[in-house]
Parts: sequence; structure tokens; C-alpha cells
Amino acid sequence: MFVEYTWLVPLLPMICFVAVGLIGKRTPEGGAYLAIAGAAASCVISVLVAYEFFTSAAYHDPGYVTAEIEWFKIPGGFTLHFGYYIDSLACLMMLFASFISTLIFVYSKGYMHEQGAKKRRYYAEVSLFLTGMLGLAVSSNFLEMFVFWEIMGLCSYLLIGFWSFSHPEGDDAADNAASAAKKAFLVTRLGDVCLMAGLFVVLYSFGSLDYVRVFDAAAIHAVDQDMLVLGSLLIFGGVIGKSAQFPLLDWLPDAMAGPTTVSALIHAATMVKAGVYLVARCYPLFAQASEVMLFVGIIGGVTAFFAATMALNNMNIKRVLAYSTLSQLGYMFLALGAGGYLIALGIETGDHHLIAAGAAGYVAGCLHMANHAFFKALLFLCSGSVIHAVGTEDMRKMGGLHRKMKITSVTMLIGSLSIAGFPFFSGFWSKELVLETVMHASDYGAEGYLFTILWLLAVVTAFMTAFYMFRMWFMTFSGKPGHASEHCHGESPASMTAPLAILSAFAIGFGFTILFGFDALLSIGVEGPHHQFTVGAGEAKGFEYLSDIFGSAYTYLTIALVLGAIGIAHLMYNKRSVDAGRFNGGGESFVYKALTKRWWFPQLYDQISWKLGYGVARGVDFIDRQVVDGTVNGLSNAVAGGGELIGKAQTGDVRSYTWAVVAGVVLLFALMLALFYFIGGGI
Amino acid sequence: MIYDLQIEIPYLLTLLLVVPLVGAVATAAMGGKRERYAKYVAGAFSAATMLLATVLLFTKDMGVYDESYSWIESAGLRMSYILHVDGLSVLMVFLSGLLVFLVTLFSSREGDRPNCFFALLLAMEVGLMGVYMSADYFLFYIMWEVTLIPMFFMISWYGGPRRHYAAIKFFIYTHVASVVMLIGIFALVFQSASGGVADFSFQAVLNGQFSDTFQAMVFLLLFFGFAVKMPAVPFHTWLPDAHTEAPTAGSVLLAGVMLKMGSYGIIRICLEALPQGAEHWQWLIIATGLVAIVYGAYACIAQRDLKKMVAFSSISHMGMVMLGIGCLSEAGIQMGIFQMFAHGLITAVLFMVCGLAGHNIGTREIPLLGGLASKMPLFAFFMMFGFMASLGLPSLVGFWAEFGIIFSFYEYASSNGMLWLIAFCLIALLLTAGYYLWAMQRTLFGRLTSKIDLSHVHDISRPEAAALGILCLLIIAFGFWPQAAFDFIEPYVGSLGAI
Repeated sequence: MFVEYTWLVPLLPMICFVAVGLIGKRTPEGGAYLAIAGAAASCVISVLVAYEFFTSAAYHDPGYVTAEIEWFKIPGGFTLHFGYYIDSLACLMMLFASFISTLIFVYSKGYMHEQGAKKRRYYAEVSLFLTGMLGLAVSSNFLEMFVFWEIMGLCSYLLIGFWSFSHPEGDDAADNAASAAKKAFLVTRLGDVCLMAGLFVVLYSFGSLDYVRVFDAAAIHAVDQDMLVLGSLLIFGGVIGKSAQFPLLDWLPDAMAGPTTVSALIHAATMVKAGVYLVARCYPLFAQASEVMLFVGIIGGVTAFFAATMALNNMNIKRVLAYSTLSQLGYMFLALGAGGYLIALGIETGDHHLIAAGAAGYVAGCLHMANHAFFKALLFLCSGSVIHAVGTEDMRKMGGLHRKMKITSVTMLIGSLSIAGFPFFSGFWSKELVLETVMHASDYGAEGYLFTILWLLAVVTAFMTAFYMFRMWFMTFSGKPGHASEHCHGESPASMTAPLAILSAFAIGFGFTILFGFDALLSIGVEGPHHQFTVGAGEAKGFEYLSDIFGSAYTYLTIALVLGAIGIAHLMYNKRSVDAGRFNGGGESFVYKALTKRWWFPQLYDQISWKLGYGVARGVDFIDRQVVDGTVNGLSNAVAGGGELIGKAQTGDVRSYTWAVVAGVVLLFALMLALFYFIGGGI
Repeated sequence: MIYDLQIEIPYLLTLLLVVPLVGAVATAAMGGKRERYAKYVAGAFSAATMLLATVLLFTKDMGVYDESYSWIESAGLRMSYILHVDGLSVLMVFLSGLLVFLVTLFSSREGDRPNCFFALLLAMEVGLMGVYMSADYFLFYIMWEVTLIPMFFMISWYGGPRRHYAAIKFFIYTHVASVVMLIGIFALVFQSASGGVADFSFQAVLNGQFSDTFQAMVFLLLFFGFAVKMPAVPFHTWLPDAHTEAPTAGSVLLAGVMLKMGSYGIIRICLEALPQGAEHWQWLIIATGLVAIVYGAYACIAQRDLKKMVAFSSISHMGMVMLGIGCLSEAGIQMGIFQMFAHGLITAVLFMVCGLAGHNIGTREIPLLGGLASKMPLFAFFMMFGFMASLGLPSLVGFWAEFGIIFSFYEYASSNGMLWLIAFCLIALLLTAGYYLWAMQRTLFGRLTSKIDLSHVHDISRPEAAALGILCLLIIAFGFWPQAAFDFIEPYVGSLGAI
């Protein structure tokens, strides 16, 4: 009874987008209340839909419910549909996206209060952003998904560039924002083009883009397996762009040029999560080939590690958080890749144990996605609260803020503990599950040893994560007040702190859902040639996870590493008894420079776009003017006798010439008619 | 069928020619002291034509309409006045009517001999309607030439500093091409003559029997004629010059509907009458399309003049049409036709925006601009909208055309083992996003420019915003529901039995 109204979930924010755009100026706070109402209403409907989906037995058997209308047809038997497809993954996505967005919108009311007339644009754009994410979550086919995917790309462009003109901090900041917005759009566009190619492969191979028709055992095994691998990799190319994975990761740190609330939206509720969603959604395709899943895992593991290194010495509070997002996304892909790898092997061999082990990876990836959504939203909103209070993003100018901003300080501590994987905070559960799956995957298959390496990377990443998060927390909140802290005017308004409190509760508690049946809710059908499997949706393992996690020695290793990292950060940045400069040659060592230069990724991008883009373009332009057009002008000069024609035209004796042209046309007609007459008579 | 309202108006197609023709004469007569009323006269006539063109969409049989009268009949020659509208042309007729009205609205500030200006617009409309409606080669050719003359005067009277050079280049270049096309038409007509009568009607030629060699040869002649018009690389250099110098209204019509005469001709004449020729030269059509797509996109990046950039983007996007046609599949041709329509709507927005840059700011040189979004928010909105539509943002009309064309090409390439060719299309998509985003960064965003005097800069006026707004609404509407256009195209493409 509620599921039929799923289409309202993306539609309500869409209506808000139009309404705020048209009449936002005349409503209080530039449309803030409209946007909040739209997001909250979507959230309520999402809850109702999810409630009905999970409780009604009717939906359990196929594990999804879908409805669609015919959208348009391409000759050759291709019909594209428009509709919704609700399964546990879609429910999870729309629940946390709409819930967190609502909180972020409420928070924005305080955060964006001083933006004046720009608020209308802000609330219109974030509403559209939410439309994109919710639409993506409930889409019934790849094409519809792609439409929303790109709408999100547009919104991120608009919002990252929110201050790309008349920036409150001056022209340089405006230039920066404009450049960051362009970079975000173009780098993700590179991925989107791959994704589009992937859609062509799928559409051509399957004759349809509908999830129900593509994720069908008979259909999957009827298509050319090489094309299936190609299509999967191309789709994953889109994911690499959208979720900022290696090597397309460099746009996300620059995207910090937008308002902090936008960063929270992009990192927690929307945009980068779309990539994770797509991999989880495409599990039935990707899991047909173990090399695809291996690739997903490698990209994830490498990104997790690289991004974490760059966060180690960054002085900008938002950038540290941005790198941590990249790193955590890497964990999600690592989990999904490792789980999928096991499933792929399971499908090949028909071994149900492997499938079950792989399902754990799927659950771990999705749980980490949800957990990350909560604690990352919390962390960004906290950093926004800090920036709002002190007016800078440079952590060197902060310090000692704990006394002045107690709520922000405590909530941010909760977020940091959660992301660091401190025991019993939500991040802990999912991170341990991720590591466990990767460890498991390393035991199987010919390429299993690669997962051993990835596991090592992931463990080192866990250590680095705990270190840089607490480095950030200590630099901001403890120690002596910095230059900017002295101007701090105290805690932020309640509209900002209330969302922080709510998110903290989830950052602490959401991980426990794994003990109470999260894994049973989450299911996805993966089908092999001889076997049909439903991944997840089995019996909830419940408290077995406790013995799983705490029965393993590796868990204690990571806990020790996390505690050690926090301790080191404490010594370096709180007690200041250890000088951080000793480890990096006072900021002169090669590694330190490499990190500040972001492993030269920006230069790499610049070089590629400058050489392959502008360089070639200049060449083409030269050829166009000198060779192609030169030939044309040369020919016409030769015909008209040494440039007389062009010369005459340019000296101004035009009127006579134009009439000559008309006369020529008339003469031509006359000739033509005469020709007709003679030839016609001859026939 | 939402369109099936069964409206019937007698002589509808003839009216579509006569109304703008009368309008052109009436507007031209508004000289001297009555000059300032010229725009109202032109507005009324162009609005009437647009209404008629819209009504055409809602007639019986999805806009399929015929009118036929014999005209010149001498010994051995038959030229008839046959007008025919079907799924291929109905959207182009609608687009012509719409764009002429919108540019009239848009140009309502024109102060220099407005009577001539608006009369030229209406005269051009006569030619455009004629080209898209005539079903007789003689009439077709006349109308084809009729479009040239008003455009020539439009550029050479109302254009920029190098207008004479551009106008002459435009005229001679396209004229040479149409003479080649004329030879092809003669070959078709006289080869198909039966019973001693050379009948110029399309139908008579369709009934003719052509050998494969004949088809291949004549196809080349006609293809050259049409490819110059589209324009295809390397015969495109008249276009950037013409656009740079043409007034905004001229550019909008030139890119919006005149370029489509080329692709229309390829489908209507080359494909319908010479199917074997098309098959023989399929590689050439595809190669021309691919080269135009990539070459045009690259050339865009290097341009400093906003309008020249948009002109090159037209070359790239018309290459898409060529590629769609080159697939010689139902899907490819349908999407090619749809791209003609989509590009017509989008490029009109783009050229209007470029015209506004030149008119309101005083320069279109990208390096001189910057940060304009703060001074001209409406202008910035429309520019961004147009650019986003043109780079193929899903949910806007251009995306479906591109998606469909590249997919059709994928089908072709995949079944011929040339899948790598797809890479060119994908690179072009990326480059397209690149030049538009870079242009926006340099014109709209960043610091407010200090290189030019901005004290007189003002935002868009109401009539201009109205014209742009209507186009944007259509871009969104067809973007959400592309089937609304496919409903017309599908039956036509289905009837192209030879393919």
C-alpha cells in the first residue's frame, strides 16, 4: 500500500527544487523550510515503503518489487522503461540518503543563514541533488539510473562552484571554486563516458537495460562472457569517477571549495555513495567473473591506502575529511570486491560456503556505506560548525576550541572514534567485517595472494586513519588556542547542534544493527549457470558475529594499531612531547613533499588535459585555418584572379557585387529552364 | 497518441508558404516613418506561421500531409507543385516556424532598417518551409536557392566587421555545392524518365530503375552537395566565418534549421532514391561523421570567440547526425533525425546567448570575459542551460539523440568487428564537456573581469528572456519525453523499406 507510492520519494524534492527556484525568494530563509519539508516528507515515505517492503511476506520471494511504464523505444526491439525497483539495497539507500539530507538541510538553515539572496539558489540546488540520489536509488533500470546519476553530477558542479563568483573571501577564492567545480565535473565525466559505454554493451548484449531483465540467470548466460566482462569493467569505470577512486580521485579534495554542508551531502548522503550503490546493484553482473571483482578490490584497496597517506600531513580540516572519505570508500570497494571474488569462485565451483562467505563481504560493504554516511555527515557538519565559529579551515590557526564549543567537540570526538574503528563504535563493526572478508578471500583462487597484500594495505590504512583523525581532533579542540580560536564566538545555534547530536547517536549505535539482523535484511540475487543463489537474506547470524570478530587474533591486532595511532597522535599533537617534524625531516623529506603535492595527481591531470586537450586543439585549429581554409581561399583567389574577388568584397564595393550575385542566380535559373526546354524536347 | 486531434485546415501546406511570403512583402513595405512598426507586422506573420506549423503536428496521421498541382508541363518535362510533409519533415517545419518567430521576438530591439531585417527573416522562412515541404525536385531546388539569398543579405547588411568576406564565402561555397547537387538531380530525373517524360516529382524518381554504378556515382554528387551544407569536414570553413559575422537572428536560423537542409537532403534524396548508393558509400558517410565529431570538438577548445566555438560545436553535433544516418539502420536514422531536431532547439539557445554576449557586453572574446554570473544572472543561467543541454546532460533533449546515435553506431560497429571506433564518439563526448565547462569557467565564473568596461553591461531584456525561456521549456519537455518526437519519426523510418 505504500510501495506503490515510491515514485513520490524522488518527486517531492523535485517539486521543492522547482518551488524554491520559482518562489523561494518570497519564503522565509530563501526556501529553507520548503527544502527541509520536501526532504523530510521523502524520508517519511521512504520509511513507510521500507517498512512495508521488509515486513510484508509478499515481497520476500523474488526479493524485489518493481513497476514500470514504457518510456520510449529505439527501433530494433529496444524498449526503455521508467519505473521503480525496490529491494533491500534500494531501501537502505533511500533511507539513509533522505534521513541524512533532512538533517543536513536543517543544519544548513543555521549555516547558510548569512548568505542572503544566494540561499534560494542553494536550497534549490540541494533539493535537486537529493532528487538525483533518491531517483538513482529507486530506478528500475540502468538508463533511468544514469539520468539521475548525471543530474547529481550537474548538482555537484553547481554546488562545488556555489561561490565561484562574488566569493565572500575575494577573487582568488572565486577562481579556485570555479576551477574546482570544473575539475569535479570533467573528471567524473570521464567516468560517466565509460559508464555510458558500459550501458551500450549491456543494452546491446541483453536487449534491455531493466534490472529485472539484465539480472536474470538465463539472460546472463546467454550473452558473450567477454562482453559481460567488458561491460562490467566499463560500468566500474563510471564508479571510479563518481566515487573518486584511484586514479580519478583528485577531484574530491578540490571539491572542498563548496560550502561545508555541500561537502557533507556529497560525502555522506549522495554522489560518492552512488558509486558504491552501483557496484552493489551490479553484483549479479560483476560476480560472473572473478577478475572483475578482483579489479574492484584492487582499486578499492589502493585508493584506501593512497588517500589515507595524503591525509597524514594536511593542514586543512575539510581536506583531511575529504581524504578520509576516499579512504573509507576504498574500504567499501575492497569489501565488495573481496566478497564478489568469493561469490564468483563459488559460482564457478558451485560451493555454497564460498557464496556465504562472499555474502558477508557484500553485507560488510553495505554496512560500511551506511555507517560511513552517518559518521561522515557528523564529521563534516562538526567541521562546518568549527569553520562557522572561527572563520578559517586551517587547523594551525585553531586549537583549544573544546572549552568554547563543547557540543561540537564531543560530537566530533564521537565521529572520529567511529571512523577510526574504535571498539563498539559503528565504524568498528563494519571495518572488522571488511578486513575479515579480505582475509577470507586471500585463501581462495589463483589470485588470492593479492588479497593478502590488500589486507595489509587495509590494516595499515586503519592505523593511518586513527592517526590522522585524532591529529585533526587534537589540533582543533585541544591545546593552546590558535590565532583564529580567539575570535571564536562560542557554540553554534541549535539548528546546527541538534543534527550533530542525532547523527552522533547513529555514529555510535548503527553498527550494532549487524548483531540484530542487518545481514538478514540485505539480500541480492546472484545466479550461476547451474545454481541460483540469494546472497544474504539467510538467517541472521546475530551474535555469532561477536565470536567471529573477537575470536580472531587479527581483530586484536587492528584494535592495538588503532589505540597505538591514537596514542601517537596524542603525544604529537596534544601533549606535544614528540615533535612531528622529527619524522619528516622538518617538512623537507621526499615523502612529506610528495604528500603535500598529493602524489603529483593534480599535475598529472593538468598535463594530460593540457597536452591531449589544448595542445591537440591548437594543432587542429592551426590546420583548420592554414591548411583547410587556406586551400579554400587559395582556390577562390586563383579562380577569381589573384584575390580580386575577396579584395573587392573587403574594400566595400559590395552593393554592386551583391546584386551581381543575385543576377547570377537569376541567370542560372534562366539557363536551367532553357536547358530543360531543349533537353526536355529531345527526350 | 496525444497528437491525434484530427484538425484539418485546407491548403495548410500552401499557407505555410504563403503566409510568410505575404509577411515578407508587408514587412518590407514598412519603410520610412512606419519603420518602428515593422517588428509587429513581422511578429504577427511569423506567429501565424508558427501556429500553422504547430497545427500541422496535430493533424490526422501524425502530420502526414499532401498537396499536389501540376505546374509546368511541356513536351517531355513535368514539374509539379507538390508539397508533402511526413515524419522526416514535420519536425523541421515546426522548428522553422518556431525559430523564425522566436528570433523575431528576440531581435525586437533591431534598430537598423528593421523592415528589411524582418522581411529577410520571413523570406528565409519561405525558403526553409519550401525545402522541407517540396516533393518535386524542381521546386526543391528553387527553394534551396531561395534560402541562400536572404541569408546572404542578412550577413552582408547586418553582420560584423568582416561581413562581406563571410557573406561572399558563404554564398559561393554553398552555391558551388548546390550546382553539383543540381547535376545530381538532373541525372536522377533524366535517368528515371519514362515514356519520354522527365517527371521531376520525388515519386517519379522513386519509381525509376537505377543501376548500382549509377547509384554510386550520383550518390557522390548529391552527397557532396548536402555535406557542404551540413557542413562536413573538410568543407566546413564557410560556417565559422558566416556565424562569426552573421547577426544573432541569422546565426540562429543558419545553425538551427539551414544546416539541417543538408542532412534532410541526404535522407530524403540520397537514402530514399539511391539506397544502393548509400550502402556502397556507407563507410564514407560514417567516416565523414566521425571526423566531423572529433575534429569539431577539438577545434572548439582552441577558439577564443564564444560564437566561433559554438559554430564549431555545430559541426561536431551535425557530425552526430551524419553518423546516425551512416549506420543505415532504423535506429540510426531515427536518432539522426531526432538529433536534427534536438540540435535545432539547443543551438538556437547557444547562438542567442552568444549574440547577447556580443550585444550586451560588447565582446565575445573569452579571454576578456570573466565572473559575469554576478552581473548578469539570467544570462548566466541561460548560457549554462544551453551548454549543459549541448554537452548532452541526460533529461535534456540532446542526450537522447546522442545516446541513440552512439548506440546505433555501437550496433553497427559491433556487428562489423570495429568496436574500437566507438572510442572516437566517447572522446568527443569528453571533449565536448571540456570545452563548454572551460568556456563557462572563463566567462561566467571566477573574478569579475577588469579588462573591459562593465559599466553599461545589463542583463537580458524581457523579449529575449521569453524567446530563450520557450526554447528551454521545449528542451526540457522533449528531454523528459523523447517519445513525443519519436511518434512522428518512427512511422517514417519504418517506411524507409530499403534499409
